[in-house]
Amino acid sequence: MPQTSSAYKYTWRLPILIWQAAFFLVPLAFMLVMTFWLVKNYRMQPDFVLKNWDKMFSRGYFWDAYWLTLGRATLAAIIVSIVAFPASFALAFKVSDTTRRWAVFFLIIPFFTSYLVRIYAWQVILAEQGVINAMIGSVGIGPVTMLNSGFGAMIGYLTLTLPLVVILQTFSLAAVDRNLIEAAWNLGCGRARTIRAVIIPSARIGLILGAIFCFILSFGDFVSPYYLGGSKPPTLSILIIDTTKSGQQWPRAAVVAICMIVTLFVAAFAAIGAAYGRPKR
Amino acid sequence: MRAVLLLYLAAVFVFVFAPIVASIVFSFNSDRFPTIPLGSFSMEWYVKAFSDEGVWVAFKNSLIVSVCAATLSTFIGFATAYTDYRYGFRFKGAYIALALLPPTVPLIILALAMLAWLSQLGLSGTLTGIVIAHTVLGAPFAMAVTRLRLSQMDPSLEAAAWNLGASEWSAMRHVILPFCLPAILSAFCLTAAVSFDEFAVAWFVSGLNKTVPVMILEILQGNVDPRINAIGTVVFLTSMTLVIAAQLLLMAKGKST
Amino acid sequence: MTEPLVVFDGVVKRYGDVTAVKHLDLTIDKGEFVALMGPSGCGKTTSLRMLAGLEDPSAGDIRIGGRSMKDIPAHERDTPLVWQSLALFPFLNVRENVEFGLKMRGVSAPERRTRAGDWLDRMGMKDFGARRIDQLSGGQKQRVALARSLVTEPEMLLLDEPLSALDAHLVIRMQGVLTRLQRELGITFVYVTHSQSEAFAMADRVVIMGEGEIAQIGTPHEVYRAPATRFVAEFVGRNNIFTRPDGREFSVAADRVSVASQRPDDAAVECSFISEEFAGTSIVLYLETATGDEIKASIDEATLSALDPEPGATLWASWGPDAEHELGKG
Repeated sequence: MPQTSSAYKYTWRLPILIWQAAFFLVPLAFMLVMTFWLVKNYRMQPDFVLKNWDKMFSRGYFWDAYWLTLGRATLAAIIVSIVAFPASFALAFKVSDTTRRWAVFFLIIPFFTSYLVRIYAWQVILAEQGVINAMIGSVGIGPVTMLNSGFGAMIGYLTLTLPLVVILQTFSLAAVDRNLIEAAWNLGCGRARTIRAVIIPSARIGLILGAIFCFILSFGDFVSPYYLGGSKPPTLSILIIDTTKSGQQWPRAAVVAICMIVTLFVAAFAAIGAAYGRPKR
Repeated sequence: MRAVLLLYLAAVFVFVFAPIVASIVFSFNSDRFPTIPLGSFSMEWYVKAFSDEGVWVAFKNSLIVSVCAATLSTFIGFATAYTDYRYGFRFKGAYIALALLPPTVPLIILALAMLAWLSQLGLSGTLTGIVIAHTVLGAPFAMAVTRLRLSQMDPSLEAAAWNLGASEWSAMRHVILPFCLPAILSAFCLTAAVSFDEFAVAWFVSGLNKTVPVMILEILQGNVDPRINAIGTVVFLTSMTLVIAAQLLLMAKGKST
Repeated sequence: MTEPLVVFDGVVKRYGDVTAVKHLDLTIDKGEFVALMGPSGCGKTTSLRMLAGLEDPSAGDIRIGGRSMKDIPAHERDTPLVWQSLALFPFLNVRENVEFGLKMRGVSAPERRTRAGDWLDRMGMKDFGARRIDQLSGGQKQRVALARSLVTEPEMLLLDEPLSALDAHLVIRMQGVLTRLQRELGITFVYVTHSQSEAFAMADRVVIMGEGEIAQIGTPHEVYRAPATRFVAEFVGRNNIFTRPDGREFSVAADRVSVASQRPDDAAVECSFISEEFAGTSIVLYLETATGDEIKASIDEATLSALDPEPGATLWASWGPDAEHELGKG
């Protein structure tokens, strides 16, 4: 209706704006500002110094944590994408539409269901005296140390991101034009070649999106590295926790947070560029 | 080849659901440290967990926070979805981007930012603070769910209501809301689940007013405590019920054309 | 001379750089069945929506019953519309759908029930009150949509291509329903369509629109037999359009063209046969002249069997001088 009243229009338009501005944008902006404040006697004081940045960047453990986190997140993105692919492929091409919908229905559940408790369950399953070791122990192998290692952390990242990545990949693969695939077959492409040359490029967007979400989630996660990965050496997220909870050094923690945001922003930007950028050959 | 792929798919599902199943099974297991072979059936851990006053308080807090956050998220999400559906305006792209941005920021960072800002506002350590933060997180989901439903609506439906004598508010009340009801309920369930499980922000922001995930975190930092499985199972069942309800509501047949 | 019910006074509608309606001057009388006809994008639907208050004119005024609609919002106008998609409310049953307009006007529940029931009865849907919308057939939904719009006893009914989604046999039936309704109620119907057959079957007057302007107004017969411009001649009926040496154009209706296998007179045109098209009660022959122009001729079955043409065969097309109709500019 052309004559929409202002009261009506703004009742619906404003809530998100006000809420996000006040409780999302402002806190983040404040966090940036806070990096320039000082902590004296466990209290923060407004100021404008670069001391916090200085201190953080000069610490070896910050850079160790940075590269560790970056490395783990990248590895996670790659490994989870690879692990997910055959499953997504199966869901996109080898099952009926109904089965696929139900599969997605069930995959959504763990994504919204207590990550924390699931990680604890893995802690128990993977422990020295845990279920896995008991099982392989009965055939004479082991015990294998799985916790407090990169392996443990990776299991954690899989737990966190696998459902989402499978869902994203599945949607993307299922949307590939079947005519293209048939055309490839027609022209003599073998199965593997068709996958490489036709299917993967067509589903590029979903595959990259899945990888980048995995990267972002893993980069920021502290639960997996903490409970399954052995918290030393610390990731950036664990660093934030330690700095905040024990040291009350919120400004220093904020520095770490800002560095994380910038890194993620660059990564997301690059990924979106790769996904939507160059036109298909 | 197909058989291999399907087997793999099944393996992925086993991996994804294994911790959930394990947790439920272990919660009824008499052994202190669960492993195979299993001990005997026991309700011991449930009794131990739920005779603790602190656990009940945490559940009560979680309930209050979830319901409040879900209500706010659903309202704000609906308002945003309707705005996107009905109106075009300058900077609308940025507006929608802002609405959908929160899930892309790692929780730990949001947790720190919320802690700092809410402290400035004097809301740190309160349930209100957690509700506010969870609403920031939940609104985008509510918006997406509701927007999906609106896109299924015959575009002439709202205009038909005006044409038949309904004012804008009337049309909202008698046409848009009834049509969107399944999505609104679904959004409520989903955002309640998100809030119920959220631990990072809650951990940072809550002080003594703990929600269940915060309580779990604290227990986890101590020694092995099998009460976790009992508490965890209850948490699983709650969130799973909410998520399943949310999905079923959206799938409700008919009523869409 | 009674006052017209609807007046479009210099109405213009612009969307940014695009002008959907250029300058509409149109009056519609009480009790008329008027069809707005034209190809997609001609502005007919936009004009209807402006009448209903769903769009605001960029310039000009619309008056209903002598009263300007300038600041009257859609929900305060008495211009119920039957939508192309019907727009029935899926979360309400049939009776509730029909009652909707009454409910918005504050009519009491018992009265609503009675009036809605009467209308459903009238539309032959007496026992359908409790049914859900998705349980209805296309034709039944149409009738519910009509009942919903008419239950408030409006002065006029607007219809936006309501029959476009129906099967052909249902279209014929619904045309009958609409015509009968309009006569019985005596109210004004403003009907938008791109279908010539619908407009001609039902309307008292047709308004042919093209590119945001009115090309011709007249009775169906007038428009068919005497198209004002080339645009109308091409859009309505089956016409052949020729240009004289001095640039003036004229049209000859296909059903005024005679076809023979022998040259009948000096004025006849030599053509070769291209194809034929079955059009129900007649057959349309497509012929091509030596200069490459197409001529359409409408003939009956008997003539067709007598001619029995092969592709490329030579045939002679002719028409009387009174069949030539001068076309204006525009």
